Amino acid sequence: MTIIMLIVVITVPFIAFDVLPAIGDPESPPNSHVSDYYIEHAIDECNSPNMVTAVIVDYRAFDTMFETTVMFLAGISVVLIMANKPRRRIPSPGDFKRTRNTGGTPIYQTINKDVMISTIEPLILIYAMYVLFHGEVSLGGGFQAGALIGMTYLLDVMAVKRDKPIMNLTKFMSAAIAGLGPFIYALTGIICFIGGGLYLQYNKLPFNIHEAELHSIGITAVEIGVTIGVAGTIITILNALRERISFDDDND
Amino acid sequence: MKENIPVLIILLPLCSALLCLLLTGLHKRLGRALVVLATAGSLVLSVIQLRTVITEGTIHYAVGGYEPPFGIELVIDSLNALIIVMISIIGFLTVLFAENFGDDRPVVKGSANAILALLITGLLGMTSTGDMFNLYVFLEITSLSAYCLIAMGGSKGVVSAYRYMLVGTIAATFYLLGIGILYSATGTLNMGDLSAILNKGGYDDVMLVSMSFLIAAFGIKMALFPFHGWQPSAYTHAEPGTRPLITGVMGKIPALAMFRYFYCIYGTDYIYVKYLLILLGVFSVFGMLYGSLMAMGQSDIRKILAYSSVAQIGYISLGFAIGTPVALAGSFLHMIGHAFMKGGLFFCTGAIRFKYGTVNIDDFGRIYKKMPLTCGLLVVAALSMIGIPPTAGFFSKWYLALGAAGRHEWIYIAVLVISSLLNAVYFFKVIEKVFIQQDKGLDDKWSKGELELPLTIILPVVVCFIAILGIGIFNVKLFDILMLTLEGVGL
Repeated sequence: MTIIMLIVVITVPFIAFDVLPAIGDPESPPNSHVSDYYIEHAIDECNSPNMVTAVIVDYRAFDTMFETTVMFLAGISVVLIMANKPRRRIPSPGDFKRTRNTGGTPIYQTINKDVMISTIEPLILIYAMYVLFHGEVSLGGGFQAGALIGMTYLLDVMAVKRDKPIMNLTKFMSAAIAGLGPFIYALTGIICFIGGGLYLQYNKLPFNIHEAELHSIGITAVEIGVTIGVAGTIITILNALRERISFDDDND
Repeated sequence: MKENIPVLIILLPLCSALLCLLLTGLHKRLGRALVVLATAGSLVLSVIQLRTVITEGTIHYAVGGYEPPFGIELVIDSLNALIIVMISIIGFLTVLFAENFGDDRPVVKGSANAILALLITGLLGMTSTGDMFNLYVFLEITSLSAYCLIAMGGSKGVVSAYRYMLVGTIAATFYLLGIGILYSATGTLNMGDLSAILNKGGYDDVMLVSMSFLIAAFGIKMALFPFHGWQPSAYTHAEPGTRPLITGVMGKIPALAMFRYFYCIYGTDYIYVKYLLILLGVFSVFGMLYGSLMAMGQSDIRKILAYSSVAQIGYISLGFAIGTPVALAGSFLHMIGHAFMKGGLFFCTGAIRFKYGTVNIDDFGRIYKKMPLTCGLLVVAALSMIGIPPTAGFFSKWYLALGAAGRHEWIYIAVLVISSLLNAVYFFKVIEKVFIQQDKGLDDKWSKGELELPLTIILPVVVCFIAILGIGIFNVKLFDILMLTLEGVGL
């Protein structure tokens, strides 16, 4: 009942008042007021053929910095709330094996995971690097690259049973790395102060090269920051969720 | 460097939050020290900024060097600058205060300090930004860090944080719907540009629909009366060390944003303005009565203060509903004063809890003998809530009443007086318990040294004490600073 009421309340204004422009109307204000400027000037001003990247990490880079910070915030929130008080160990998958119905070996167990995973992982990482450094030219960018790197770690931890993992990050370390990413982003902006620019004004970076190149350097630097932040956050959330959840800690 | 002050104020707490965990890993105290230093730095810069704004006028800072509306712009007028100083002071004091609560494991300590610094960042950003979507991003940071800080207050905290999260997400959605409509009608995200386009006329329907969404969004975030459901339990069960910032400042900044949309962007010329003002006035009037009545029935001091916040937010939105410059100035004076009163009262309850481990007012018997400084603040803040001169509360209510009288809104004045009397009932109950009731003989959990409390608790208590009296005595000065912006705004 409440939900129906909510839907009615939200839809009535849109029906009663004609507030939204027609879909795809080239003359509508969103398609003509600032969009024209971005389309005409993005390549000259930001040296980025990909207009989306130009808007995200150059014209509106300040927003993206805080969006990356939101990722970091989500990571440490999960650590604090979910993994705050580990009490008991999670029952390991081995405990359930006895009860499982074994009607022959399932097809996926015939794959040699050690071989497969060690083949796939480098490929995923190379692809992540491609997505990261080509973000300003074609589709892609820091968020996707970070997700790919985080997924590689996740795959490694979840699929392969190793006595000694290749890379073992504690939830503390991964959260610290997740913070380092947005910090690189913020630092890129702060370095612009040295060249006498405003915050995130890439063409005032203190290197002695052409302005367009400076924009490329700035965009790449913040994309690297975003990548580290996202990868760290994914690993942090994984680490936090692997610990026991317990809320019997009312200290109030 | 001087032109970069507006962005540095936001960046200092942000960078400290991002590096806090890493430094905590190196040494247990290093991360916290950085957060303290950064918030202190942003306090100093905010005072410098206030001076600059008063002498040289409004600051426009184009991030990335792109002219608005193409880039993001920070706009600091005298109103913003004053609120930023308020946030920085209470933020700094809360960071000091939070040291005494929570557990000591490095991962918890480091993350908690980082999230506190991020909450301060979000609040500072929401105040200084001049871009609609940027405001949303800061709103998100503020809310997320607040959810986490509330959830850290034990199992009841988790439940109330979950409730707040559900409601808060709806608020964020409403905000996006509101600015989505505005963007589709005008094609800009910059507030100044938007204001110029809307005031050309012909946007009345757009303004009505988007404003209804925005009132719902900010109403939920600031806990205005019919949207306040999440607030009492969240304020009660939040992490005790960070409660002053959450209760004192967090509700005020959405109110400031609502004011921006209502008066700075929309202006008062469109045809629906009087209906929206009446709507806001009705919400405020009922909130003022409801909050005060509910507060009278509680015995947990945190609940009393939480319900009283519902009423006090009503005062602020009442000023918006009246809409004359004097009433708006009264609103903002109340915003600043109430941040110190409510923050101060929560510093007091935190201090009493730290020393005696109780929050029930029936246990407060003759506590004034043992904690004279804390009880001094408790009394001054309570008197200020009631509105007795020369405290801050009296003058803000005075300006509100003056504004209401200017527009012949006699009902508002009557409700203002009734609500103040109800405040008196429940605050005198607290004062009676503190001074007259029998001593319960609670055991002291902290009896080291000569002082009644650690220095990190005494400093916030003393600063709030001075601030409440100072705002009251120098209210004309603050009123003049506010009027630099508010002159010509409103009805």
